[in-house]
Amino acid sequence: MAELRRYFDEIQLGEEYESPGRTVTETDIVIFAGLSGDYNVLHTDAEFMKRSIFGERIAHGLLGLAIQAGLFTRATQAYATLAFVGLRWKFKGPIKIGDTIRLKAKVLAKQETEKPDRGLVTVQRTVLNQRDEVVQEGETDLMVERKP
Amino acid sequence: MTAVARSYFEDVPLEHVEETPALTLTEAHVSIYQGITRELGDDAALVPDLLPLCFTTGLGWRVPKPPLAVLAFMGLDWQVVRRLRVGDTIHSRSRIATKRPMRDGGVVIEEREVIDQRGEVVQRGRFTYLVAKRSKENQA
Repeated sequence: MAELRRYFDEIQLGEEYESPGRTVTETDIVIFAGLSGDYNVLHTDAEFMKRSIFGERIAHGLLGLAIQAGLFTRATQAYATLAFVGLRWKFKGPIKIGDTIRLKAKVLAKQETEKPDRGLVTVQRTVLNQRDEVVQEGETDLMVERKP
Repeated sequence: MTAVARSYFEDVPLEHVEETPALTLTEAHVSIYQGITRELGDDAALVPDLLPLCFTTGLGWRVPKPPLAVLAFMGLDWQVVRRLRVGDTIHSRSRIATKRPMRDGGVVIEEREVIDQRGEVVQRGRFTYLVAKRSKENQA
C-alpha cells in the first residue's frame, strides 16, 4: 500500500481531480443520524420538513462533508498523509434524498514546514450536485510526508 | 400539527458554556462511518478525523434543552490537534461566541472543542448557523 501513496514532492500545485458521483439516499441519512446522534428535524421529520423552505428532509451538512472525504479517496491516488490539519468549509445548499453529489478538487497551495520530512498541502474542494449546483465548498489542509 | 419545542435565536445564551456527556469511540463507530463514507484509513485503530467532529452535534443533543431552531448550517472552521484512537473517550464543550440578528433569522457562531479522557483538547473549531427568530417562526 505505502509505495502507492504520493509524497509532498510528487504533488503538483494546480493539480485537479474529479470523483465519481455518489447518490445520497434516505438510508445514508438514517444511518448517519443513528451514528452521530444528530436527530435534528431537518434530517428526520418528513412532515415538519414539508412545511420548511426545503420541502423535504435534507442530509446533515456533516454527512456531505464526510461523504466528500470518501469521494476524495476515489478521485485520486492517496497522498502520504501524516495528519489532517484542518478545514474551512461553507454549506451553500441542501443535499436532498436522491441527489447525486461529486467532488472537484484542486491543489491550491504547498507549504514547507519547520520539519524537513513533511509539507502542508491545501486542497480546494467543491461538492456539486447532479444539476452542477455547488452544495458545499471549502479548503482542507493536509500534512503530507516528503519523499524519504 | 404538533408544536415542537425549539430554542430560537432570541433564546440563544451568549457566552454560555455547555459540556456534554462523553462517548467512547469504538470499532463499530469507525466501521459504520466507513460504510457510509468509504473514507478508508491505513490503520484500523485510528479514528477517521472527521468522525469526532460528526459526533459533537449529537453529543450536544444529550444535554437536556429544546433543540436549536436551525434554518441552515452555514459554515465550519475546524482544526485537528491530535489524532484519536479506538477506545478513546470524548466529550464536547461549546460556547456561543457571536449572535448577529438578520431580517429572517440570526447568525449564531458557536465555538466547539472535542476533549479526550485526559482532558486535552483534540479538535476545535467554529460552527456558523442561521437560526430562526421566534416571531418569524410563529407567523409561518
